[in-house]
Amino acid sequence: MTLPVAHALASRQDLPIPAWLFAWAASIVLIVSFFALSAAWRKPQFEDEHRRPLGERLSAALLSLPAQVLCGAIGVFLLGVAVYAGLRGTEAPDRNFALTFLFVTCWLGFPFFSAIFGDLFRPFNPWRAIGRAAGGAFAKLAGQRPAHLAYPERLGRWPAAVGLLAFVWIEVVYGRTSIVSVDIEPHAVAVAALVYSVYTLAMMAVFGVEKWCDRGEAFSVYFGMFGRLGIFGARDGRLYRRRPFSAATNWATVPGSAAVVIASIAATSFDGAQDGAFKDPIESLFNWFTDRGMALTTGLRLTDTIFMLATFGAVAAVYMLGVRGMRTVPGAPSFKQLRTGFAHTLIPIALAYLVAHYFSFFVFQEQAQFGYLLSDPLGTGHTDLFGTVSNEVDYKLLSANAIWYVQVAALVIGHVIGLMLAHDRALVYWPDYRKATASQYWMLAVMVAFTCFGLYLLSVANG
Amino acid sequence: MLPVAHVGHYLWVFYVIPILIVVGAILRNAIAQRRAGRDEAGESSTAGGGKITKRD
Repeated sequence: MTLPVAHALASRQDLPIPAWLFAWAASIVLIVSFFALSAAWRKPQFEDEHRRPLGERLSAALLSLPAQVLCGAIGVFLLGVAVYAGLRGTEAPDRNFALTFLFVTCWLGFPFFSAIFGDLFRPFNPWRAIGRAAGGAFAKLAGQRPAHLAYPERLGRWPAAVGLLAFVWIEVVYGRTSIVSVDIEPHAVAVAALVYSVYTLAMMAVFGVEKWCDRGEAFSVYFGMFGRLGIFGARDGRLYRRRPFSAATNWATVPGSAAVVIASIAATSFDGAQDGAFKDPIESLFNWFTDRGMALTTGLRLTDTIFMLATFGAVAAVYMLGVRGMRTVPGAPSFKQLRTGFAHTLIPIALAYLVAHYFSFFVFQEQAQFGYLLSDPLGTGHTDLFGTVSNEVDYKLLSANAIWYVQVAALVIGHVIGLMLAHDRALVYWPDYRKATASQYWMLAVMVAFTCFGLYLLSVANG
Repeated sequence: MLPVAHVGHYLWVFYVIPILIVVGAILRNAIAQRRAGRDEAGESSTAGGGKITKRD
C-alpha cells in the first residue's frame, strides 16, 4: 500500500483561518459542551439500553440457522478469495484484491458501519463460522458438545489488544520498506492471514468459539467494540433496537478492554504521525541505529516499533492522568474501578480518529474495491468478471478542504460523545452532580488533549 | 535575516495552548477548593472552642 494514497492526504488549499485555530475552536466547543452537560444532565441516561424488540418475523428470519450459515459462508468465501489473491495474484499492492479488501473494506468498513448499526462482523466472522461448523460436526459424530478449557479470566481481552497491535504492526511497520514508502506484499499478508487463521481456530478449539471471540480474537473484539455504539443488538434469539452508545457502558468490565481501545487510538495516531509529526524523530533514531552498523530494514522496523509502542504508552498515560485526577475528588471509587469504568468513553474517540484519518482513503479505495479489484482480483489484467476492470478512482470526488472539514467534525463530535459518556458514568459514581462535574474536569482535559493532538497530527500530515 | 524558515516546526505550540489553559484552570480550581476546605476546617475548629494560637 503506497502511503500517499493510503492516507489520501492532499494539501489544503485555502482555509479561511489557520489550521491550529480549528483546535482552539474545537476546544471551545468541548468546554461549552462540558458546562452544558453539567448544567442540564443530572441523572445517568446510558446505564440502561432501553431495548425495544424488533418484529418477531424479522428477528426469526435474520437470526435463523440458514441466515447464519449463509453469512458465515460469505465470510469464509471472501477470506478465501483474499488469501488466494494474495498468494497467486500480482505483487503490485494497489492492483491486488487482498490488500484493499483486508486493510480497507474490512478494517475500516466494519468499524464505520458497526458504529451505526451494531456489530456487523459477528455474523460474517469466517473463523467463528468455521469454529461453529466444526463444533457442530463434532457434536454430531461424538454425540456430545466439545469440551473446552476454562479461559483464564485474568487474561481478559489482552490477547485481542496484542493481536490488534500486531495487525497494525504488519501494516505500518513490517510493510515499510523505506523511510518514505510502505509497500506491503500481498503474499506476506496472505501468509499472515493463514497463520492467524490457524492460531484462531486452535484457540477456539481450546477455549470455545464464543469465549475466544469475546476475549481473544482481535477482530471480533475490535469490531464488536465499535458495534457497542450502534443501535441494533441481538439477545436471547431476538433482535432489538437500543439507545445509541448505551451498550458501550458495560463493554469495558472485562480486563484488558482499556488496552484494546487505547491500542486502537495509538495505532491510528502512529499511522498518521509516522510520515508527519514523527518523521524527523523517526529519521534521527533510524540514522542513529544505522550509523552503528544495523541493517537498514532492521533499523527501520526497530525504530518504528519503538515509536509505535511509545505512542501506545503516551495515549495510555494521558488517559491514566485523567483517571488519577478523578481520584482526587471526594467519594471517588478505587483507581482500578475508575480506569475500567471510564474506558468505554474512549470508544467514540477511537472511532473519531479512524474517521478523521481514513475517511477519504476509504472513499477513494472503495471505488477501486468495487471497480477494477472486483473484476480482476488477482490483478493480472487477464480477467474482467463484472466488466468494471477499466473503472478508475475519481480523486476529485472529495476536495482537500472537504476532507479537512470532515476530519475536524469527526474529531469534535467523537470527543463530545466521549465527554457525554464520561459525564453519564460520573453520575453513577458520584450521585451528587456537583462532585460528578468536579470529577469530569479531568476528563475534559483528556478530551481537549486528544482533540488537539488529533488535529495537530492531521494538520502536519496534510501539509 | 529573520529565522522564519523553520517556524513551521513550532506550530505545535499553538495546539498545546488550549490544553495548558484547561489543565491550568483545573489546577487553579483544585488549589482554590483545597484552600477553601482548609479555611473552612480552620474556622469550624475555632468556632467549636478549639485552641487559638496567638500570632505575633
